[in-house]
Amino acid sequence: MAFLEIDGLKKRFGSVEILKGINVELEKGGFLVLVGPSGCGKSTLLNTIAGLEQITEGEIRVDGRAINDLHPSKRDIAMVFQSYALYPNMTVAGNIAFGMEMRGVPAAERQAAIDKVAKILQIGHLLNRKPSQLSGGQRQRVAMGRALVRDPKLFLFDEPLSNLDAKLRVDMRIEIKRLHATTGTTIVYVTHDQIEAMTLATKIAVMRDGEVQQFGTPAEIYNNPINIFVADFMGSPAMNLIPAKIDGNGAGLSVVLDRESRQPIVLPMPGAPAGLAAFKDKQVIFGVRPEALTDPEGAERNGSEIATADCHIEVVEPAGSDTFAVTNLGGKGVVARLRADARIQPGTSTPLAFNLSKAVFFDPATEKRIL
Amino acid sequence: MSAVTSPARQASSGMSARTINRIVIYGLLALFAIFYLMPLFVMLVTSFKTMDEIQNGNMLALPHAPTFAPWIKAWSEVCSGLTCVGMKGYFWNSIKMVVPAVLISTLLGALNGYVLTKWRFRGHTLVFAMMLFACFIPFQSVLLPMATILGSLGRFGVTLQNATGFNFGFGNSTVNLVFVHVVYGLGFTTLFFRNYYEAFPTELIKAAQVDGASFFQIFRRIMLPNSLPIIVVTVIYQFTNIWNDFLFASAYAGSGDVMPMTVALNNVVNTSTGVVEYNVNMAAAMIAALPTLIVYVVAGRYFVRGLMAGAVKG
Repeated sequence: MAFLEIDGLKKRFGSVEILKGINVELEKGGFLVLVGPSGCGKSTLLNTIAGLEQITEGEIRVDGRAINDLHPSKRDIAMVFQSYALYPNMTVAGNIAFGMEMRGVPAAERQAAIDKVAKILQIGHLLNRKPSQLSGGQRQRVAMGRALVRDPKLFLFDEPLSNLDAKLRVDMRIEIKRLHATTGTTIVYVTHDQIEAMTLATKIAVMRDGEVQQFGTPAEIYNNPINIFVADFMGSPAMNLIPAKIDGNGAGLSVVLDRESRQPIVLPMPGAPAGLAAFKDKQVIFGVRPEALTDPEGAERNGSEIATADCHIEVVEPAGSDTFAVTNLGGKGVVARLRADARIQPGTSTPLAFNLSKAVFFDPATEKRIL
Repeated sequence: MSAVTSPARQASSGMSARTINRIVIYGLLALFAIFYLMPLFVMLVTSFKTMDEIQNGNMLALPHAPTFAPWIKAWSEVCSGLTCVGMKGYFWNSIKMVVPAVLISTLLGALNGYVLTKWRFRGHTLVFAMMLFACFIPFQSVLLPMATILGSLGRFGVTLQNATGFNFGFGNSTVNLVFVHVVYGLGFTTLFFRNYYEAFPTELIKAAQVDGASFFQIFRRIMLPNSLPIIVVTVIYQFTNIWNDFLFASAYAGSGDVMPMTVALNNVVNTSTGVVEYNVNMAAAMIAALPTLIVYVVAGRYFVRGLMAGAVKG
């Protein structure tokens, strides 16, 4: 039995169904990230776990106990909000202790708890300040402290990093990950940033239009996306989704990629998924991540299915750590990720290595993965 | 060369145009300020003059020998109708009316605003629209219905008096005025607080809920401490309106020793025995105006700030 179980959860506002039957579970000490574009229902789902929104159908259980009819304060949860939601009229210490004060914890005990949390988050010197006197990162820490001090069964984070600047966001992301590792708490975390999802999660639920598209570990989501939406949403730069044709001869299947005014590229697929045979002579979407499309020297030496083809490079983007090259296949811009020192000129042709063991195929009609 | 000289010429002519603009603007502002402050000035200087000086001197001249006698007389001796005990009793009547009325209407307005923005229920817009409508009802039109209600409350007070020996404030003129002003102030105070709380971050309420705070704990610990600007606006607005009210005061407490300041002042000025003592009248009027002036001076800078906060964010 999992620690957090969400079972057939539905949420309707009038006739509009916001959440259409969510089934998710998380083990104790796990880190679940709900990720998806805005309006996908991820924040609503978090609010229903917190009890700030009522659910229409289904059940939410924490540690085997149904909590969906309990008041937020009775659920043994703590929440960190996007705007931090620090009480402006109270000091940092007052903010952290407010929940304990409401539960009637004696002052001495409160002080001890504040000191403990302040030490963990290194905010001891800020305890007597008001939230308006803090920087964004400090406010973020205080908000986490307010959640941490309750020692709850479940932590809820609602886009906690989206108000920070890029550098601080990376710092705080590591901070949260470290906190999770040291305290071993169970966390549900909402974000629209797929990098946060990949780096933090032990389990990811990719959501769209009130439905969980795919639920699994970051590696599963990244390497085996279940449909085009997940493949496109996770990963930066995004996966290349190239219209292609499946060709078959006696030996096996091969992928045919059209090129402008040149011979199409034909990539033999000895290890093609079984379902691909049904698409012989039909159109599919050929998905290959930029790092699986690289210069032959940079390609994985032990990659079992490397195929090389000459490609016309249109744009070169040196990003410091890597060089991205854009070519055109199947009528679409396709991004390849090369070594930083790859000698490559726009407007020329260069051989690119396709790591076909990492390639995935989608049915263009249903947008589902071909397995 | 013309290309070189013309920007300089433009700059200098622009400068002088700006100076003229400034002079016109400040001149007009000063003129209007003088126009508005003139009556106050005349009142103030007259109240410190002797009757001789008033009858023989210039209205705008400063007093030759300033005297506090008119103020003392206005405070403790002047005749309102036939009773000659000064304004002090009526001043306290007004205080006893205005303080509870302002506090209760402000608190209820805050509570209404809190519910109408953070605990929304089906039909909350209709309730708010009806409260807003109360702001536009002319007070004259409610005089008679309100008199009927106050009459029934008074009779209920008599019943209580007979049954328990105490009327619990029913039928008391000051309590009646507090009730009337609270009821008719609620529309405005609710409007002020609703607009202010509309922009108040809802995540704070959610955080407090998760922290386990109850409805009233959130109100008292989160909402009220962060409402200072709008509380100041509401208090100033309500204080000025209630203190200066003459219509309800004269209708429901228009005679005897329960009169508020405004009614008493009117009686003082209209008392026609002997010469009209302008200096005493002016001093009495100054005493009547002083509390609102003090409230403005003390809290005025919050007034504009709070009004803008409500207006822009709401």
